[in-house]
Amino acid sequence: MDIIVCVKQIPDPEIPPSKFKLDIESKKVVPPEGIPPVMNPYDEQAVELALRLKDKYGGKITVLTLGSEATSSIAKHALAMGADEGIVITNKAFEDSDSFSKAYILSQAIKKVGDYDLVLCGRQAADWDEGLVGSIIAENLGLPLVTLAEAVDVANGKLKVKRVILDGYQVFTVPIPAVVTVSNEVGRPRLPSGWGIISASQKQIPVWSVDDIEADSSKTGASAARRKLVKLFIPERERKCEIIERETTAEASIELVDTLIKAGAI
Amino acid sequence: MKQIFDAIVVGAGPAGCACSFTMAKAGLKTLLVERGKFPGAKNMWGGVFYGPTLNQLFPSFWQEAPVERYIKRHRLSLLTKDASLSAEFTAKKFGKVPYNGFSLFRAKFDRWFAAKAEQAGAILASGLQADDLLWDGNRVAGIKAGGDELPSSAVIACDGVNSFLSEKAGLRDKLSPRDMKQGVKEVIHLPRNLIELRFNLSGEEGIAWEFIGSFTRGIPGGAFIYTNKESLSIGVVVQLSTLAENKIEANDLLEEFKQHSEVATYLAGGKLLEYSAHLIPVAGSAMMPALYTDGFLVAGDAAAFTLTTGLTLEGANFAIASGLAAAETVIRSKQIGDFSQKSLSYYPELLKKSFVLKDLKTFKKAPHFLENPRIYSLYPEIACDLAEKIFTNDGKPRRKIWKLLRKSMERKISFWQVFRDLKKIKKAL
Ligand SMILES: Cc1cc2nc3c(=O)[nH]c(=O)nc-3n(C[C@H](O)[C@H](O)[C@H](O)COP(=O)(O)OP(=O)(O)OC[C@H]3O[C@@H](n4cnc5c(N)ncnc54)[C@H](O)[C@@H]3O)c2cc1C
Repeated sequence: MDIIVCVKQIPDPEIPPSKFKLDIESKKVVPPEGIPPVMNPYDEQAVELALRLKDKYGGKITVLTLGSEATSSIAKHALAMGADEGIVITNKAFEDSDSFSKAYILSQAIKKVGDYDLVLCGRQAADWDEGLVGSIIAENLGLPLVTLAEAVDVANGKLKVKRVILDGYQVFTVPIPAVVTVSNEVGRPRLPSGWGIISASQKQIPVWSVDDIEADSSKTGASAARRKLVKLFIPERERKCEIIERETTAEASIELVDTLIKAGAI
Repeated sequence: MKQIFDAIVVGAGPAGCACSFTMAKAGLKTLLVERGKFPGAKNMWGGVFYGPTLNQLFPSFWQEAPVERYIKRHRLSLLTKDASLSAEFTAKKFGKVPYNGFSLFRAKFDRWFAAKAEQAGAILASGLQADDLLWDGNRVAGIKAGGDELPSSAVIACDGVNSFLSEKAGLRDKLSPRDMKQGVKEVIHLPRNLIELRFNLSGEEGIAWEFIGSFTRGIPGGAFIYTNKESLSIGVVVQLSTLAENKIEANDLLEEFKQHSEVATYLAGGKLLEYSAHLIPVAGSAMMPALYTDGFLVAGDAAAFTLTTGLTLEGANFAIASGLAAAETVIRSKQIGDFSQKSLSYYPELLKKSFVLKDLKTFKKAPHFLENPRIYSLYPEIACDLAEKIFTNDGKPRRKIWKLLRKSMERKISFWQVFRDLKKIKKAL
């Protein structure tokens, strides 16, 4: 079974929040310098699910990621885990692209890869938690879609997908090819092996430009986004400590209630 | 994809990067294994890097390497609870090419250095931990990592202070807390202009400021503040065994240090960016393991190549120089096709010729001398007390400084004891 997995780079979730800067002007979150991005953990689980299918049925796993040449480390991580090929698609305008144009670019790249039985995406990206791209890819390619899958198998020439719902599961069958987004119930992604890391480190990752995938530039970048971000902010929080000391506890509690009322807290 | 490497270097710190760069450049099939997600990911240090060795490897490296500031000023302060006495040194020379030292961050620097090794042809395997050695009889024949066996003609352990590999190779025992210091550090953000104003710096100039005194509560060690572009690195480095014996936490000492009135003004308004802790091998040549065996060499912190004189702490330049010597040894072994212990004995010979073993020999007695608790509490107290007496104007007739000194020392220490300590300084430093 040939599988395409779309993986996204995100700022390392281990970076403490205090190290991020919020740029109010450009409405962007600026991660600290010098710490490379990592693969979105949900996408890592999508790679894991693909590898389980490959272990069982053989085939080829191709990983697609949007970014720059520097993002090849994300693709290489998937190769180290056991994927066969990684491709980076670059475009300066990505940063300002919305989910529609990212999904459009990925759909074009998937068409260029050509042969595939299954497209996997993580359930959402752990940076903005939107969870839209997988669904829009299915729409673009006109393929059946199942979201939040915990397991995928093959039965009678169709895909059997176990979908997580509150307190239980749904099991669907869908014709091949299909798009499936993967839930975190898949469990821990495998650790790369020694030789896996070594061979991934030596592989060249092809970089495709928007021209390589014949993308229509009017559908990508900031100008194509119909949704505009007008404000990005963290509410101001003020912390103050005041110790109320009175003769008796009763007096102190009355004073406390007064203070809280004055502060508008109750 | 399976292959046999000429050399596997474990650890992409300064030692491992210098070593693998040199071997790869000479055409050896070199694998550099680093357990961090990327080189430098979890590595910390104080951060003043002394440049000459790296400058030989990459002339004018500061133009491309991620350095923060060049160190123009060195300051030393003795602190008591409520006083401080400082001396500062600055030289025009320190502000000019090739500079003397730089402040820098390991997360960026190690990545840069490892990329150099990769460009030279080394294979960098990040996120891979060496779990064990691979043996062929009595000869080290590679490593085990990520569930796989990775064979090689030589293994160079550059795996830092706790060098698990040199223990596995039987070159040393588990380290004792007496051999080590604990370093804790915070990085505190301050706007560039505030740093320059507070520390009297301009442009890319920086200061390395060392402290000893009451805040370590008599535990051998000290503190530092180094300036980066837009932050301060501030930390405490103290003897591990004494910490443990007294049930004191190093971060409590750092807190105490930060709250000292002399220090707090420099930090005011700063925002904490990160906290980290690490061990430092400080027992010098006394704790040095055997440096090689069949198919195996140790370099950098793993070999305890660090120098502490009480005023400075240097390790990175020793790591680089020993990594280079290990590389040259393995290159030679490859040429003659012999990786036996006998052939690798070329390594200590190279080290003896370089500053690595020369400096460690010169300061052989320093680690023991620096365990003297008087250096950290009594002497700073006497010095500050004397300074106070000299500078105080209380309207009474003045006395000779010599007499004031005697007064400051009264009931604290005898001249005889001071004399004996001074004699030890002469031997140790
Ligand atoms: C608080 C503090 C302040 C310091 N200040 C200074 C200073 O101002 N100037 C100075 O010159 N020196 C300073 N040092 C010392 C300096 O940091 C070290 O001497 C130097 O980093 C040693 O380099 P190294 O390459 O030998 O080891 P390290 O830098 O420790 O690198 C070892 C590498 O090996 C990796 N590793 C370990 N085990 C494995 C394994 N099993 N498998 C794979 N990878 C592994 C680690 O992840 C790490 O990347 C300071 C140290 C500390 C702790």
